[in-house]
Amino acid sequence: MTHRSRRLTRIATYALLAVIAFIFAFPLFYLIATSLKTKADLFAPVPSLFPPAPTIEPYISVLFTRGFDGLLVNSIIAGLSATVLAICIAFAICYPITRLPAPPRLRAFVLNWALSLRFLPPVAVVIPYFAIVRTIGLYNQLPALILVYTIFNLPLAIWMLRGFLDEIPIEIEEAALVDGASRWYAFRAILLPLSRTGILAVVIIVFAFDWAEFLFAFILTATPQAMTFPVGVQGLVTQFEIIWNDMAAGGVIAILIPLSLMILARRHVMTGLTFGVIREK
Amino acid sequence: MPGSRVSAVPAQRFAIGARIRSAWMARSRQERLVYQLLLPVFGSVFVVATIPFVLAVIQAVTSDSRGFVGFDNFARALGNPLLYESIKQTAIYAAIALPTEILGGLGIALLVHRTVRSSAIRAAIYIAAMIPIVIPQIAVGVIFRLVYAPDYGILNVLLGQTGPNQPLWLSSPPLAMIATASVDIWQWTPFVYLIMFAGFQTVPSESVEAAQVDGANAWTQFRHIELPYLRPLLLLVLFFRIADVIRVFDHVYVLTGGGPGTTTQFLSLYIYRIGFKFSDLGQASALAVVVMVAMTVFYTIVSRFLPADRG
Repeated sequence: MTHRSRRLTRIATYALLAVIAFIFAFPLFYLIATSLKTKADLFAPVPSLFPPAPTIEPYISVLFTRGFDGLLVNSIIAGLSATVLAICIAFAICYPITRLPAPPRLRAFVLNWALSLRFLPPVAVVIPYFAIVRTIGLYNQLPALILVYTIFNLPLAIWMLRGFLDEIPIEIEEAALVDGASRWYAFRAILLPLSRTGILAVVIIVFAFDWAEFLFAFILTATPQAMTFPVGVQGLVTQFEIIWNDMAAGGVIAILIPLSLMILARRHVMTGLTFGVIREK
Repeated sequence: MPGSRVSAVPAQRFAIGARIRSAWMARSRQERLVYQLLLPVFGSVFVVATIPFVLAVIQAVTSDSRGFVGFDNFARALGNPLLYESIKQTAIYAAIALPTEILGGLGIALLVHRTVRSSAIRAAIYIAAMIPIVIPQIAVGVIFRLVYAPDYGILNVLLGQTGPNQPLWLSSPPLAMIATASVDIWQWTPFVYLIMFAGFQTVPSESVEAAQVDGANAWTQFRHIELPYLRPLLLLVLFFRIADVIRVFDHVYVLTGGGPGTTTQFLSLYIYRIGFKFSDLGQASALAVVVMVAMTVFYTIVSRFLPADRG
């Protein structure tokens, strides 16, 4: 290939990538634009691309007039509690299989079992959970969601944490043990501080998953007392007449939290989504 | 226990107990610690996660009014023609979305890998590609409601089709399928891109250089040098995406609610409808059991091919 034609290919490729990027970005742009429109703008004969008079009124309307601030709090409480629980359980499971001489078959069993849960469709699981939750009187209560979220995101937490722990050399702890430190001390003073970044990444990603969850919350809750934010947003869509700007504002708020968290933990997102098959160095 | 007075049977039991105990003591202290730490936690998690399976089976073979009903619910579930309709629609959805995502993601990864040298631009594309993936499915539904809805949707406005004869993307049969599948493509092509792009980085540069010295053209280089490195990742993506298509629910529920008719009543929406719209929890449990078993079989087969190190 000549220098000139190579240059042309390059320009053509960049142009193509720009077009692709535009197609992907446009729906997102229109969501934000709509979320900034006034009520009056909704009655324009042809909807405009840009908000004629940008306003944050729809956000206020969604959060306070419609009381979605309560749903936001529910989502955060359910997500944080389930994340903390999942991390603690994942640590208790990952510690013996990464820091102690666990038989390889036991280790493989635990990891495989966790991964197999990833292949279960939530709708199949929610039917028995619905019965359990009603029987033990947790229907329309946040603890039901916390329980289900903990179990459902535990596989992700186990696989991610195990990846991080495997990368921390065991020699440092062994040196401390040889020097007479207790195992508990080696865990608390060496392993825990060394795995801080990993734990933070798992917390962020598991929380983002909990935040986005819809089906369980949709079926296991009924009133704003326990409803989560995505369930509220869904309610804005399927009602008889859609208030477009409020719906868009709800969508933007639902996106903002996982998006900002994922940008913080960007190096670990793909590891999480592929159960550690893809690693970003 | 005084040994002289025990009969043969307890003595034997004692011997087994002793054998287990001595096997236990023969393990190193550390190995014993593995079980002491792992069993209580993993055991309880395992039980809690397995209860739904057991309960689904119980729900499927019993009825509140008639007690044990045997395989009635399974017969009704598997005899319902709507089940096969939903499987067919799910398959069509997958047949539209998955090849587009995989070829599209692979193509873009190849383009970026070959032409974009600047690490700043690569990093920018990395972040940009992550955005659709991290958007909650419900919000994805909201976004595309704004694209496809009649009258207020921007697509028909851009196409200049705002009159009474505008295409009804969400409520006419072939279009609703295309619309819901396109949303899947929008959200997951970047995911395939990210995996494939990471895959291209694992191809050793020596092999590529050697091929170029031998005069390989761009296609041969892709086909014979790079593709073999990508193959396990392509399989991985395919498996993950198939599992995801089975669970597709949120964005379709928001966009079409499964309609029009049964056009977008995919498997998850169908089970939801049986269980919670028709309140036929017996039939829904039978479906849940069938799906759980099918996915377990699928996973067992798939896990042999997954490139992850298996622990």
